[in-house]
Amino acid sequence: MNLKSLRYFLLVCTMLHVTSCSQSPVFKAHETVFQVGDQQEWAAKDLNDQYWEKRKALVPDGQVFWSRTKIDILKTPESLHPYGIQLHVYGEYEVFWDGVLVGKNGNPGQEAILDPEGKMWATFIIPTHLTEAGEHLLALRSSLYYFPSHTGIEELQIDYYDALLTDRLIESSYMHLFAGAFLIASFYFLFLFLSNKKEYATLIFSISCFLFFTLILAEFIKAYIPIHYSMHVVRLQIIGVLMLGISFLIPFYFSMQFPFPKRKLLLTIYAVVLLFFFLSRYVFELKANNMTLSMWLFSFGIVVFGVYKRMKGARLVLLTLLLSVPIGFVTPFNKSLFAGFSLILLGMFYLLSLRIKEQRLAYENSLVQSTRLRLELLKKNIQPHFLMNTLTSLIDWVEESPKKGVLFIEALAKEFDLFNQIENQTLIPISQEIMLCRTHLEIMEYRKEINYSWQEENIDFEQNIPPGILHTLLENGMTHSLPLEDNSIKFKLIFESNNDYKCYTFLTFAAVVKRATNNREEGTGLKYIKARLTESYHSKWEFTSEPTSQGWKNTIKIYF
Amino acid sequence: MNILIVEDESRIAKRIERMTRDIFGDTLQSLKHINTLHEALRFIESNSLDLVLLDLNLNGDNGFDLLTTAVSKSFHTIVISAYRDQAITAFEYGVLDFVPKPFNRERLEQALHRTIANEKIETNEIKFLAIKKRHRIQLIPIEDLLYIKGAGPYTELFLADGKKELHDKSLEKLEQLLSNTFERIHKSYLVKMSEIKKIIVESGSKYMTELKNGERIPIGRTKYKDIKAKWL
Repeated sequence: MNLKSLRYFLLVCTMLHVTSCSQSPVFKAHETVFQVGDQQEWAAKDLNDQYWEKRKALVPDGQVFWSRTKIDILKTPESLHPYGIQLHVYGEYEVFWDGVLVGKNGNPGQEAILDPEGKMWATFIIPTHLTEAGEHLLALRSSLYYFPSHTGIEELQIDYYDALLTDRLIESSYMHLFAGAFLIASFYFLFLFLSNKKEYATLIFSISCFLFFTLILAEFIKAYIPIHYSMHVVRLQIIGVLMLGISFLIPFYFSMQFPFPKRKLLLTIYAVVLLFFFLSRYVFELKANNMTLSMWLFSFGIVVFGVYKRMKGARLVLLTLLLSVPIGFVTPFNKSLFAGFSLILLGMFYLLSLRIKEQRLAYENSLVQSTRLRLELLKKNIQPHFLMNTLTSLIDWVEESPKKGVLFIEALAKEFDLFNQIENQTLIPISQEIMLCRTHLEIMEYRKEINYSWQEENIDFEQNIPPGILHTLLENGMTHSLPLEDNSIKFKLIFESNNDYKCYTFLTFAAVVKRATNNREEGTGLKYIKARLTESYHSKWEFTSEPTSQGWKNTIKIYF
Repeated sequence: MNILIVEDESRIAKRIERMTRDIFGDTLQSLKHINTLHEALRFIESNSLDLVLLDLNLNGDNGFDLLTTAVSKSFHTIVISAYRDQAITAFEYGVLDFVPKPFNRERLEQALHRTIANEKIETNEIKFLAIKKRHRIQLIPIEDLLYIKGAGPYTELFLADGKKELHDKSLEKLEQLLSNTFERIHKSYLVKMSEIKKIIVESGSKYMTELKNGERIPIGRTKYKDIKAKWL
């Protein structure tokens, strides 16, 4: 639900972007020319400026310089609706339109003496009588005390004054709504991580969302907070750092979801590449572009690997990555950045939801598995092979030697009682398990009339063990072996432990039954043991079972 | 009587042995107990037997290998098992009886009695006859079988596709197993009743049946009335 609504929201945003850019402009700006110096006549519309410089690299010491730009107004504004001009220009300046002063942004030429004043993005109203269709002239009287090399007009926009003011606010309000969604997602996944600290993917996603939220804020803050041109670099640096973070985290996240060989090495190389771009002396846009592009390429590589390995969710993420490409080409840089990023974040979101679903299924499975194991333990005593053979022997003992029959029944009662005690537990004291084995041997002695003996070595009675696993090994040992010449079978349990693991060795001393067929599938007994070990120790165990010259050897290693 | 008991539970084996000796008395010539599948297979191959009492679950091995071998032999097989759900399969393979554990003397006696009295089994479970072919056991579906001809201690199975196979069991033993769908129409023939097309009386009171595939098989003089009544 969340995913769908977000995607829908994103679509609306991109559409808004595209439509807002597609209106036909009402003006056409010509080349800007420069002249250092300060003469009031330079504001005049019909000044001959053909000897002015086309490019001015540096105006040091906060000197005053002038720039002139010819502008064609293509459409006379409706009456009582004045045009405005919006400028994105470094420096403090005065704005002249056809020789008339229409606005002032700071104090050109006096920057060294006065405090910084004015802002990077300023909008000025142009008197209606000066905006009839035809040629006009914009002249700026500026000074660049703080960044003397940043001459020229970065961006220039002429439209109805009202529209210029409101459009920007509308755009930034939508983007802030958008940012809010990511803020909420970031909190949600942070809490999710806090409740399960092993899930680093949710943390990474949460951080990515938060960085993206701050990135949007940092980008659109200019609409409502005036920033002096001397401070603008701080904003750009903040954006740069945020992009560095996001550019690293996104592929890092994908690398967690679609693990690939040599992951650490490749990620380190990637981090170095990103840092290189970040620390490079390129202009900001190129820096950002390089980081975004490398982020995209690396992520693409990882996701393609995921698709190749048929990992879950890889295809849809690949689609979102591919979709972000045309958006990048169609829309201007700052917009494509957000649309592209958010698409990729949505892909990550989707992956996370997949993983959460998988975890839920795994959890449900584990519940079912535990129930199944419990049933299997219970079944040991009522499965026909045990029960019917025991009863048959019992009938025979009762008929032939009632006293022994009573002892047999007592042993049987004891085993049933022990099973009842351990039936609903996942770990039981080793002493209880040993007791179970001994009772079972007693019963089997009545049935098989073989001298069974049981030995223990070095048992630590503080230890716990999943119920029924030694019992299962004992059963297997009895079924698959024949008595030695003295009609005996011996079982031995040895315990060892060190700093890394504890180990149970279960030995059977007997003659091994010759098999009619060699290919034996893994019995239900071994499956039971492995499932029980997984239930209690996850993957931190090892189980081996092999014949020896004297019989059979099983080892269970449990790692700490 | 030469009997083999295949059972890995010593106490139960002794019980079967004791009761069997008791039931057969002097007619028992030999009684052998084996507790592994491997040995049992070897013993069956090299000894002449009249009856095998078989447990299907030996030392964790599936006894059906042994079962198919056993039923292809000349002797009858009785299964004694803890798994009641195996009864149907056992009958499909052609065992004489299935004794579920735990059992008492009466039940075992009832099973053993079938071998002595040539008692026919009433169940309609049998689905295959196992035959030995080039050291392998092949299962022949009963539905493919038209009639059986006695050939000394062996029998010849005549199949729907015109083929002929040899079986180690005698005509009497097969009659016991197949009594539900087959009739002994002659001292040398056992015929599936549903395959009989008509009964022909030839001169000199010779009686013949014609099967659906056109083959003719003689009917014993003494059996004629009986067969005709059953066929009609």
